[in-house]
Formats: sequence, structure tokens, C-alpha cells
Amino acid sequence: MTVALAMHDGLDRPPVKATGTAVRIAGVSHSFDKGDHKKPVLSHVDLTLKHGELVILTGPSGAGKTTLLTLVGTLRKLQAGSIEVLGTELLGLSARRQRQIRRRIGFIFQDHNLFDALTVFQTLKLASELADRRPGRSEMLDRAVEILSALGMEEYLHRRPGQLSTGQKQRVAIARALINQPKLILADEPTASLDLKASNAVIDLIKQRIKGQQASALMVTHDHRIFSVADRVVHMIDGQIAGQSFGFP
Amino acid sequence: MMTSPGLGIRLLAFNPARLLAAFAGIAVAVVIMFVELGLLVGVLDSQAIMADLVRGDLVMMSRGRTNLHKFNDFDRIRLSQIAGLSGVGEIIPIYQGTAGLESPEDEVIRRIMVVSFPAGHTPLAIGDEDEIARQLATPRTILYDRRSRPIFGNIVVGEDVELDGALYRVGGFVDIGPDIVNDGAVVMSEGAWLMRRPNARPIMGVIRLLAGADVAQVRERIVAALPDDVSVLTPVEVRDREVAFTLSSAPIGVLFGIGMLAGLIIGAITCYQILFNEIVDRMKQYAMLKAMGFSDAFLRRVILAQAVLLSCGGFVLGLGLAYSVYAYIAKETALAVQLSLTSGGIIFALAAGMSIAAGLLAVRRVRIADPAELY
Repeated sequence: MTVALAMHDGLDRPPVKATGTAVRIAGVSHSFDKGDHKKPVLSHVDLTLKHGELVILTGPSGAGKTTLLTLVGTLRKLQAGSIEVLGTELLGLSARRQRQIRRRIGFIFQDHNLFDALTVFQTLKLASELADRRPGRSEMLDRAVEILSALGMEEYLHRRPGQLSTGQKQRVAIARALINQPKLILADEPTASLDLKASNAVIDLIKQRIKGQQASALMVTHDHRIFSVADRVVHMIDGQIAGQSFGFP
Repeated sequence: MMTSPGLGIRLLAFNPARLLAAFAGIAVAVVIMFVELGLLVGVLDSQAIMADLVRGDLVMMSRGRTNLHKFNDFDRIRLSQIAGLSGVGEIIPIYQGTAGLESPEDEVIRRIMVVSFPAGHTPLAIGDEDEIARQLATPRTILYDRRSRPIFGNIVVGEDVELDGALYRVGGFVDIGPDIVNDGAVVMSEGAWLMRRPNARPIMGVIRLLAGADVAQVRERIVAALPDDVSVLTPVEVRDREVAFTLSSAPIGVLFGIGMLAGLIIGAITCYQILFNEIVDRMKQYAMLKAMGFSDAFLRRVILAQAVLLSCGGFVLGLGLAYSVYAYIAKETALAVQLSLTSGGIIFALAAGMSIAAGLLAVRRVRIADPAELY
């Protein structure tokens, strides 16, 4: 599918022609230094993620799923191949440009990584500092309440992480990832610490954001409960894509 | 909007007990620096106290008197020689020596400095001029320096004390203050001093100029009129010369400087350790911020804000402690050790510099926070 719409990629350069592709991974290989030898973790991976698509990466431990996620998120330097994220080629990208790309991505990690000193509202407010247009306090409050309500967390607005359960902290971390309405969501086991109800709320919110904002999500998970909401499930084994499943919804 | 300093301060203030302990650590370094600087300034001030006390425009001294604790005297005729010069108003000789003062409490004889000048012409700012004149006009009366070290015992007004075996009545008190050489002082009239030492010569001549006279021009005239066995300086020059002499002749500048450096290093290490622990404890959160797109500069500002908070809190706590320590030192040594705006400013600048330097070192740690490790 090729959508010929002009969009600005948010970086310091002219708008690029979007093709409807959020992420294009082509021939990506990656290896880690293991003493005096290199251990390959990805080998010639090709994958495309379209706007509005939710793709789940699955596979056994060590298959390279997380490494692929970090490469797409510009958290790791690309060694070989090409990755285009939101219209920007990552190979050789400066640190400043990488930061600009990351500001348009919503990261959800297995650990919540919340500052113990900040309330839920302060956490979301801190994240909103990175938005292209910083909201005022009143707008910020509305946004925070809206997103927390969707996650069943609105009553915890002024609580600190120490006053929240593990699952609640994880939902705050998810709210933090989504508060700036990212164009791409990269998530690693986002529902691992959540019960079924909370998992469903999280997935519903992600799906809603994807459809509503022409965003996309690449999610690593072993949670079969949420396979059914994915547009595609990509199976990885030994650093390569072993196959894809379509048509769950 | 949450600024980077705001975030840094929130993170540091989240654990008040830890923050207080951190302040205390920095405060120790601040107190060390305050004490070292206070002692240095106190010693220098005490050594130059006579120059500060001069009530006059110029001071005549023997050229051989290179510092105020060298009692080279000069011929009294030198004072008479300049009396008629244009611009010269009053010339007052000061005599100085030591005597054995017997403590009325334990009857032990200890050396005390004796300062003497003509009754009715007080050349030093040591108390009420009229009262000093009135007392010194009374025969066999001395004035006791109330800031003398307590080794001389509790000397009260109206009491008779023995100076080198001669009895004198204590007519009142003056304020001079001891230094690291002298433990105390008494003041007597020129007449009383000359009765004890008929051949005594002045060690200082305080020259007061007529109103409107130009100090530099009058000094030129005085110098031209006198042989070069005396020098003529302003009180400020005498003080500066004394400070320079003390610093060059005794290693106190080096000693107290090393003390301050030690305080600075202790403070920097403490501050670094606190910030380092703070960063290590929140390494994942800092990595998260980097993943989200916050810059290293933002993280640097977070840490530097914490460093500044530590220096401010440590300084305030240290200032309070230093105040008590100064009071104790002043009481025990009778040296002119006191907090001043200047010394406070110097120590605050050092504390802030020390904390910021520690913060910049600690920032290196946060820079290696790797967001890729979060997955």
C-alpha cells in the first residue's frame, strides 16, 4: 500500500513524502561483542510496519526481538542494513536527530522506571515537556485525567509510585508513553504485570491511539491474550524472521 | 512546566533524612573552611590591630621597625622637627613595652604589653576619649584591656595591681585585644611610663593633619624635613605592611591555605559521593529520560541543580555551626575571629564551586546511562 501524503517528520529539514510506512527495516544485521568474538543476534531482517498497524513480535528468548526494538527506537547504533523510522533513515543519524526521533516514539518497557519522587501527574507533566507544543497546566490536567481514565487510574493522579501496586505503576508508565500522542509505540511485554482487565484496557487504549492518530505499534510479547488484537504477529527465531500471521482482528 | 532544576531538587528532597545527612556532610567541609579562613583573618587582624586603632592621618616609626612587634624606637626630637610644617596639626607619641603584671587571683607574674601616650591626647581608638584622658590624668592609674586573655585573672576597676613591683590603680577599661604574641595590655600615661623608664623613646608618632590638608603633600614635606632613620606611613599602609610581613615571615598563609584546601577536598568528595549515589540509585530512571528524548544537557542541569542545592543547604548549616565555632575560638583565644560578609561570600563561592565541580564529575556517570539496557 502506498499512501502519497505529505507529512512533516518533525525534524529540522523539509517535509518528506510519506509512503504510509511507519517503519521500514531492510537487511538489518546486528551482533554483540563477546570477548574476542562477535555473537550475531540479527541476520538480514526485513520488516515493514505501516501507519495504523499493530505488529506483535514473538519468538523464543534470544531470537533478537528486543534488539530489533532497540534499533528501531534508536537506542542502539545500527551496524548494518537500513532502518527508516517515521520517514527518517537511522543509519548515520546524529545524536541530536536520534533524540528528535525518540521524542516521537512512545516507549513502554517491562519495568516502569518511574521516579519515586514524582506523582503520577508530575510524571506525565515531565513527559509532556518533550511535546512539540507544551500544554498549559489546565490542558495538561485534562490530558492526564483523560489518559488515566482510559487506564482506570484517574483517582491516582497525585499518588507517588510508592503508593501504587506494580500493575498500577506499569499503567502509569504506559500513560507516560502515550501522553504526547506518539506516532510510533515500541513496547516490550507491556501487559506482563497486568491482570486481564488491565491488559485489555491497555491494549484497547493502544489500539484506539493507533487508529485515531495514524500511529503504529511494534510490540514484543508472549501474552497470547493480546495476539487477537494485532494486525500481524511476526515470529522470530535465531535473529531472523521465521514467519508472519495475519488477520487476527 | 517542570524545569530540570525543579526535577533535580524534587529528587534530592524526596528523602529528607538523606538530604539532611548530605547537608551535614557538606556543612562539615564548610565549617572547616570557615574556621581556617577565620583563623587566618583573625591572626592577621590581631597582628595589625595597632594600625587599625590609630586615630590619625599618618604614622611615624623607626625605619628599622619592619613590623609592629619589633619595638625599634626613634628620637623624640623627630616629632618636634615636623611640628611647624604646613598642614601638620597634632603629633602624639606612643610608647610601648612590656611589664610583669601580678595576677590578683593567683599572684603569678605574667608579661603584659604596656601602651603609653600623653594624657589628654588619645591617639588610639580604644575607648571613650574623655574618660581615658580623665583617668590617665590621675597619677598611678592604668587602664586595663578588657579583651586581654583571662590568664591575668579577674581584674576589676578600682583594684590595685602590681606592674614590675610598682602599684597602680585600675581606673577603667580599654578595648585593644591580644594577638599571637601578646596576651593583653594596659594603658598608662606618658608621664607614668617615663617615670618607669626615664630614657624611653617613642615607637610610634601619630600625626593628625589640619583640616583640608592633603595627606600625600604633607607626607612629602615631612619626609623631606627628616633624616631617613624614620619612615612615615598612613595607617592603612602600616596595616598592609603588617599583613604582608606576617604572611611572609610566618607560614600561616600556607598552613591555613592547606586547611582550607583540605576542607574543599573533603566537601568535594562528600558532594560527589552523595550525587554519585543519587545517580546510581536512579540510573534506570535517567536512562528512561534519555530514551524518551531528554538531552544530556537536561540531565546535566538536573545534577548541577542538586549540586547547587547541596552547596546552599550545606552552607547555611555550616554557617550556623561556624558561628558557634567562631564564638568558641574567640572566647578561648581572644583573637579577632568573626564572621564577615566577605568571608561568608568567599566560603559560599568556594562551597558552590566545590559542589558544581563534584556535580560535573558525577554527570559523567549519568551520561553513561544506557537506555538500550532498559529493554
